[in-house]
Amino acid sequence: MNRKHFLDSILTLGTVPALRFAEGIAEEPTRVTTPKYLKSGDVIGITAPAGYINHNEIQPSILQMESWGFKTKIGLTIGKKDFTFGGTDLERANDFQQMLDDPSIDAIMCARGGYGMVRIIDRLNFNRFAQKPKWIIGFSDLTVLHSHLNRNYGIASIHSKMCNSFPDDWSKAEIIQVETINSIRQALSGETMKYMLDANQSNILGKAEGVLVGGNLKTLETLSGTKSDLNTAGKILFVEDTGEYLYSIDRMFWNMERSGKLAKLKALIVGGFKVKMDSEGEDFGRTVYDIVLEKVKKYDYPVCFDFPVGHQKNNFALKCGVKHRLEVKEDSVILREVSDVR
Amino acid sequence: MVKLPPYLDRGDTIGIVCPAGYMAFEKAERCIQILQSWGFKVKIGNTLGGNSTNYFSGTDEERLADFQGMLDDEEVKAILCARGGYGIGRIIDQIRFKKFRKHPKWIIGYSDVTVLHAHIYSNYRISSLHAPMAAAFNDGENEYVQSIKLALTGSLARYETRPHHFNKIGKAKGELIGGNLALLAHLSGTSSDFKTKNRILFIEDIGEYLYNIDRMLYQLKRNGKFNKLAGLIIGGFSDGKDTERPFGITTDEIIQDVISDFEFPVAFGFPVSHERENYALKIGVKYTLDIDSETVTLKEH
Repeated sequence: MNRKHFLDSILTLGTVPALRFAEGIAEEPTRVTTPKYLKSGDVIGITAPAGYINHNEIQPSILQMESWGFKTKIGLTIGKKDFTFGGTDLERANDFQQMLDDPSIDAIMCARGGYGMVRIIDRLNFNRFAQKPKWIIGFSDLTVLHSHLNRNYGIASIHSKMCNSFPDDWSKAEIIQVETINSIRQALSGETMKYMLDANQSNILGKAEGVLVGGNLKTLETLSGTKSDLNTAGKILFVEDTGEYLYSIDRMFWNMERSGKLAKLKALIVGGFKVKMDSEGEDFGRTVYDIVLEKVKKYDYPVCFDFPVGHQKNNFALKCGVKHRLEVKEDSVILREVSDVR
Repeated sequence: MVKLPPYLDRGDTIGIVCPAGYMAFEKAERCIQILQSWGFKVKIGNTLGGNSTNYFSGTDEERLADFQGMLDDEEVKAILCARGGYGIGRIIDQIRFKKFRKHPKWIIGYSDVTVLHAHIYSNYRISSLHAPMAAAFNDGENEYVQSIKLALTGSLARYETRPHHFNKIGKAKGELIGGNLALLAHLSGTSSDFKTKNRILFIEDIGEYLYNIDRMLYQLKRNGKFNKLAGLIIGGFSDGKDTERPFGITTDEIIQDVISDFEFPVAFGFPVSHERENYALKIGVKYTLDIDSETVTLKEH
């Protein structure tokens, strides 16, 4: 059997255990489908597949994206509210499906995270999207989409801030806010992304090249074993989280390790982790650095900490599913997109 | 068929360890007294009331050594985990079950101990006991604490509970598997993950956000855990939390919603929980779950 066809056929099974699947794909040249980059006049659809958001809250993002030369199309879920959700499951799924299938929409920005993507992911039909992919933008709960697209379709997507993080007044915004929001435009317009940051003394030095995948750690854990489960073999994994206890972060990294996601990485990028304080007398006694390092000490790939991705101001756009090169050096860290695979 | 460890007789020894969170010795004193009053000897592991100053009852190495020691000690016929918390997942892959597989013994506990139950049942097909731990004995010898003794000495359990208006009437027979929802979800995709086909699954949890309960149930659902399930038992979900923007429905409604496509019988409000109501349940053992409009019966075979 032709190897490529064999891989295609196991891809469609969906229930193949992650490890077996991972071993198969690790030897393959990276298959990446990059959606068409946006140009002036292209349309960005805005939808709320998870938490609810109203029209006022997305106004700053609309103005900004229009100032970049894009048009916007507001989905029916904006302003919809079903308790915590941006509409019922059916409404959110329909809105998202419509954006996926509408040929006049060139990219889809999720207005905000929260919770809810996993409730509708299996209702979505990606057939048309897979034929003609478009950029899907978001993070946090939308890690479900990044992971699902990477695992099932090998289609790239953008992990970045969403509509709810655009500053109300661009002229008064902090520089970091401006830079992070601008990074969405850069990513969408096809600029080759490059990030430089200071070294962290806990970093493990080295260089690696691989497809970048990742997102919110808790969300990745809750995808474990499902058909949206991330395959990390041969890839650069980034993770971030917020509002979790240290013990819970530890448990999530154990899930990564015990489900085989750390063993065959090319590199690990640890973003922001906003930790919930331990209760008195329940001191966990380990930092996030300790938690990560004890899991990866038996491997020999580079690891960098405090990468500017997460539930924080310095959350830069990252292209999931696109090949990157990470250099963790003594004095600095550089992550750059490898553009020759396009 | 699952392998049953030998039941206990008077004079047999129960080892007590803390494989996860820290517990002061005083908090387990009542438990020790009651176990002794039942005619058992008690062997105290180093991790109960040790000199740890942080969250854990000892370092990974200390907790592993204590548990491994009890597992391999021929004199010890059952191991009671004094408390849960968090920590078994950190040492589970280092525990050697070689001797235990030849000479199984009852492992007792719940919450974080769900990791042990699922791991042992999935990998070795040996039964273990999902049951109250040391702190429960401080409330005295109620029927839930008593159920540990009955289970360990070989009585076949027959638990009856009140009906619940969300129950799905029906009858199911199958091996029992389950425990703490957060841990069951967390084990997905690992070597401790469990199968649910033709089995009766029970779940309980404490202190979780409603959206997170929903998300974990979706994980189980998307992992196919409900597809061929024989029956489902919903235990306590105490101290549930909600976000600033309310989730809008209760835990029971969340569960009802997630499993609405399935036919299997479901019992809500079963006494398995982080509260006083927590009957001993034998993992891997065949039970009949009988749910009618008047009563719910869970009967061991």
